[in-house]
Amino acid sequence: MLGWGTAEAKCHEFENVALAHVDTLYRYGLRLTRNRAETEDLVQETYLRAFRSFHRFNPGTNCRAWLLTILRNVFLNRRRQVAHELLEPDPSHWESAAAGLTDGARPAHPEEEFFQTVLHGDVDRALKALPLGFREAVILADLEGLSYKEIAEVLGCPIGTVMSRLARGRALLRRALEGFAYERGYLKEAE
Amino acid sequence: MNCVEFETCLHPFVDGELEVADTLVATVHARECAACGGRVEKERRFRELLRRQPRESAPSELRATIRRRIRRSGRVAAVRPWLLAPPVAAALLLWLLLPGSPPSLVSELVDKHMAYAQIEQPAEFVSAERAAVEAWFSQRAGLRVTVSDYSPSGMRLIGARIAEAEERKAAYVLYEKGRTLLSVFMVPSSERALEARGQHVAYRGQDYVTFERKGYRTVSWTDGRAVFGLVSMLDYEALLECAHKLRADRARQAGG
Repeated sequence: MLGWGTAEAKCHEFENVALAHVDTLYRYGLRLTRNRAETEDLVQETYLRAFRSFHRFNPGTNCRAWLLTILRNVFLNRRRQVAHELLEPDPSHWESAAAGLTDGARPAHPEEEFFQTVLHGDVDRALKALPLGFREAVILADLEGLSYKEIAEVLGCPIGTVMSRLARGRALLRRALEGFAYERGYLKEAE
Repeated sequence: MNCVEFETCLHPFVDGELEVADTLVATVHARECAACGGRVEKERRFRELLRRQPRESAPSELRATIRRRIRRSGRVAAVRPWLLAPPVAAALLLWLLLPGSPPSLVSELVDKHMAYAQIEQPAEFVSAERAAVEAWFSQRAGLRVTVSDYSPSGMRLIGARIAEAEERKAAYVLYEKGRTLLSVFMVPSSERALEARGQHVAYRGQDYVTFERKGYRTVSWTDGRAVFGLVSMLDYEALLECAHKLRADRARQAGG
């Protein structure tokens, strides 16, 4: 019989397992919404949903990816009208932009020079400019340290898609960072 | 491994995502080829730059709020099954965990709901008229579909589309309550069993299976040879009410 004691134990177990990931969820929520109040609301809703289906959570599986998936679904559900646009603002434009981003096509800079030009806040600014599809992959892999498999689970896409989004997302991000350096005159345009 | 082959596995190599054997081969190539070795170094430094970004923590107030809400919700959840319908309590003991089993029909419907919810115009045929949607299904795919009117519960009919499920044409009717979508699927002559991990629920004398996946709730049932599934973020009470109405409407149409 389900009594108060069982409910208490269930809450306790859930808190132990799931609340450990609150920082990751909060940071990811902030990157998605860019709004603190909305993020707090989003994270709360995610935990309540996760708690309700916690009895089906298999302890051997990945709790962080599971929570991130729910958070992302709640976010996309709220933004349904604009979700399509968020994910792929103008696919053809970004595809071609990303396609030209092989190393050969880019002016070569000494690595030291490039890293010295990246100022505080630049990465944030560049990330914000990435289309959501690429931004999510880069954030989950490089800022939050998720594996390809976890990212595929969160984004609901095949691992191959994760890999191509990562490669293109990183290239776009790097190009944006170099763009900031040009603006400041730290790097010179190639002849 | 040559440079072209190396290029295709550069990112997984730097990310440590290659199989052991491939990692060894790639390591050898990166050591022997200065250009590729340089690219590895460059990618590593770029990732270090990203990982050095400040990592914000969630406000402590947020943690406290979550704890409070979970505890409150936990107490309600412990009581609610008894209120919803007496057989549910017995069904609580019958949960079957089947990790690694192939995705069930209902899981497939949830994925479709998610996919459609992300496209700009989820409905292929847009209409708020029940009769028009029913006629469209009949003409478009020869499907005899009953469309219920949920407007008294504040749910607006948006339209319909033909969806594939189990390599068959399935009917998909779409409603909206505020900004929350409700998908109603009908998969004719389905042979696949309903969600085995779900919970069996009796609601107003009829049996349903409820199942939650990726934050979405589903209510499904079999009627004749067709499987019906409702997918939404709405609560179970609202979904069961909709399911009940659809079954009643269908029975009425079949009779009349």
